[in-house]
Parts: sequence; structure tokens; C-alpha cells
Amino acid sequence: MSLENLRLALDVSVFWEYRRLLLAGLAVNFYVFALAAVLAIALGFPACLLRLHRWRPLQWLGTGYAEFFRNTPEYVFLIWVHFVLPLLISALIATKVNFPPLLSAVLALGFSYSGYFTETFRAGILAVPRGHLEAGRALGMPRRLILWRITLPQAARQMLPEAMNQLVSLFKATSIISLITVPDIMYQVVQITSTEMKPLPLYSSAAFVYFLVIFAMSTLVRWVTEGWRTRGWA
Amino acid sequence: MRESARETYANLSPVKPVVEVVDLHKSFGALEVLKGVSFDVQEGDVLSVIGASGSGKSTLLRCLNHLEQPTSGEIYIAGEPMGFRISKGRRRADSQANISRMRMEIGMVFQQFNLWPHMTVLGNVMEAPERVRGLSAAEAREVAIFFLDKVGLLDKRDEYPARLSGGQQQRVAIARALAMRPKVMLFDEATSSLDPELTGEVLDVMRALADDGMTMMVVTHEMGFAREVSDRVIFLHNGLIEEEGPPAELFERPRSERLRQFLSKILH
Repeated sequence: MSLENLRLALDVSVFWEYRRLLLAGLAVNFYVFALAAVLAIALGFPACLLRLHRWRPLQWLGTGYAEFFRNTPEYVFLIWVHFVLPLLISALIATKVNFPPLLSAVLALGFSYSGYFTETFRAGILAVPRGHLEAGRALGMPRRLILWRITLPQAARQMLPEAMNQLVSLFKATSIISLITVPDIMYQVVQITSTEMKPLPLYSSAAFVYFLVIFAMSTLVRWVTEGWRTRGWA
Repeated sequence: MRESARETYANLSPVKPVVEVVDLHKSFGALEVLKGVSFDVQEGDVLSVIGASGSGKSTLLRCLNHLEQPTSGEIYIAGEPMGFRISKGRRRADSQANISRMRMEIGMVFQQFNLWPHMTVLGNVMEAPERVRGLSAAEAREVAIFFLDKVGLLDKRDEYPARLSGGQQQRVAIARALAMRPKVMLFDEATSSLDPELTGEVLDVMRALADDGMTMMVVTHEMGFAREVSDRVIFLHNGLIEEEGPPAELFERPRSERLRQFLSKILH
């Protein structure tokens, strides 16, 4: 009996049968991943500039922002954004507001990961040797020009490997969005499993699909950063 | 008294010194590194600054272009106050924009070269003429090529700095500073981080610059260079000018005991 269960659990033919639904689910994962990544970078960059600002209160603001999101589990934050935040907003503007699950997923993952990106960007910027900036100042370059021409291009190369690792883990994190009924691959698996009345057949397939995608991404990251290293960039 | 001496001097000579420093003080927290230094550099002169490490040589140089902000005292570059303005009889800090503008006239070469690794050699030299002086890309390129040729590295223009030897990198750094056509060049221990066999090529470039009539201030441990190339030498000790004069005098007949000790330590 247990052997029979094992055979079922590893049966990939079910995967083939439901391939369209599952691939549609995977596409949703990619969709959420892409939007959340853009949001995370778009928020992380200014937050990092705040952290590095000369004026103390702005530094504190940036630090507080990064620490808040880095130290809140994505899962808890996702639930909070989807169920609590709309209530808060409703109370504030006295109109009933609901977030579509897709929106909550993008917001939650985007904000969560912006905290990590803040730190990644900051480390990259701080890794640029002071002397390179002084050379710019000595030539009469204004602060903004130094930032765009000297600091950021070097920081970008410095932080790209780490930023790409963050993206890989952001993709992993998309596996929790089925909890708020975003129709991603895990959501499809759970749905199919419940209608088919077979307890486990598709989980192995889903795990395998995740593995393939993430493995492909990490390999790409390694391959690209290795190329930079040989050119003396990173 | 200083003030009146300077005015007298200014009246006598129609040409303002390229660099004029009056009673310069610089402290880092409780540590006073410069304790009241005054001197000037005339156009076309080469002034070497020697002294033990920790005597304040580099800090002095870095104050001139405000990479370090002086605690007190006055600096004039070609007669124009650096880093401060007098308005209604009161002295106040100058704007960043003005400080940046004046830095264009002051070339600086660092001990660590500080070339930008993500730009080619040509890119490094073109950057400031194009984006700070506002030359067109073609003009900036022309200027860069002229000065790369001058330091003998035209054939390396498309390389990235990481591919160059330390001596070559430093020569590019000199070309980068020259491309802004500064009124004075500051050399902050330009050969100190080079292997002995590479210092020669950099010193040769510096010597050629001096021969061309460039006004230079050179912080150095190379006593041979200071002696042959400088018009004047300043010996800095504990944040004060202990002795100054023409190199022949300073090196042959040091008056102060400290300079004598310093020279015997460094020359033997």
C-alpha cells in the first residue's frame, strides 16, 4: 500500500495531463516575480541613497525602512498586506477597499525584497574606493556627476552577483503566494490534487519544476558573474 | 603683520603667486596636524615638501584643494581665495560649486593613482575635460590624446587601467590631471606605492613637466628628485615649517638639528 502511494507520488504522467494549467500557473509566478523585482529595485535604490545621505535623520529613515522589511518574514507580511492593509486603508478613507490577490502578492514581495536590495546596493556603493571619488572631486566634478559617472557604474558591477542572488531567492519566495489564492503553480497543484482525489501526485512535479527554474537561474548568475570576474569587473 | 607683508609684496610684484598659504591650521579632532603654515609658490616654480611621515605633508597638500577642510588660515590660488569668501567684512565658507570650479585649476596626483577601473585609459583622461570643462567629445578626445602622448602612453589608450603597470597607471593619472590644464599640479607621494624599478618613468614625466614650466608642489620621499628638480624645498616637522630654502642650501647646509637628523636617516 505504501509502495503504491510512493508510485503515485512520483507519477509524472499526471503532470503531462495537466501541463497547460501548470504552465499557466508557472507563468503567474514569473509575472509576480518580474513585477515584484521591479518594485523592489525601484524602492531599494532610493532607500539606499537615504541610508547614505549626509543628513542624519534621512539616514535613520533609510535604515529604519530597510530593517523593517528585512526583519519581517515574507509570509507574515503577505498575509498582513492582503488582509489587514485593506482594512486600514478602508478605515482611513472611509470607503471599502479590497486588494486583488495579485496586487497584494506583488506589493508584499516587492516591499519585502526592497529591504534586501537596499542593503545590497549600499554594500556595492560602499565598496567603491574612496580614492576614486577623491580623484573626481580633485578634478572639479560635482557630487552628482561623481555619483552617476564613478560611484554607480562601479557599484553596479560590484553588487550584480549579490543582486542576482537576491532575484533568485525572490523567485523562490513566489511559492508562498498561493496562500492568498493567486493562481500560481502551487495553487494549481493544490486545486488539481483536491479534484483528482489523489493525495500526492503533483507535488513532486511542482518541486521538480521549481528546481529546474531556480537551478537554471542560479547557473545563469554564476556563468555571467564568472565572465565579469575574468574581465576584472566584479 | 603677516597681512601687511603680503600687501607690500603684492604691490611690489604685478604677478600674484599661483599658490599662497597664510597661517594654515588643520586639526583632526584633538590632533593638530598643521600648526600654522605659511608659504607661497610662484608661477613656474617647483616646490618640494619633505619631512617624516606624520609631519603633515599630505594633509597640507590636501588642504590646498579642499579635500581636507582647513581648520583656519587662508589659501589663495592665483590670487583667488580657496574655500572662503569675504562679504561685508566677514569670512564665510564658499559654495560647493565655487570650490569645484577652483579645483579645476589645481591638478592632483595621488599615491594610489586612483584611475577609474571601469573606464579605458582614454575615458579616464577625457572624463573631466568633457563633463566638467564642457568640451565637446571630439575636443576632449583631442586634449586627452595630446596629454597621453606627452606621458608616452598613447598606444595604451584603449586599455583598461587594470592591464597597466603601476608606473603606467600613474602616468595616465598625470595625463588625466594635466588634461584640465591646471595652473598648478600637486603630487602627493606620487611614487611611494611603486616598485623601485617603476619610479624612474614617473619621475621622468614629472621632470619633463617641470622643464616645461609647470608650477608644481611635490610631496616626496625621493630626495634625489627634490634636490635636482625643485626651485625650493620646505622641510615640515610636527606641522610646522622647520626650514625652507633652495635645495642646494637645504641639503648641503641644513641649519636645524631636526633636518640634519632627518637627512642623515633618509640618505643612509
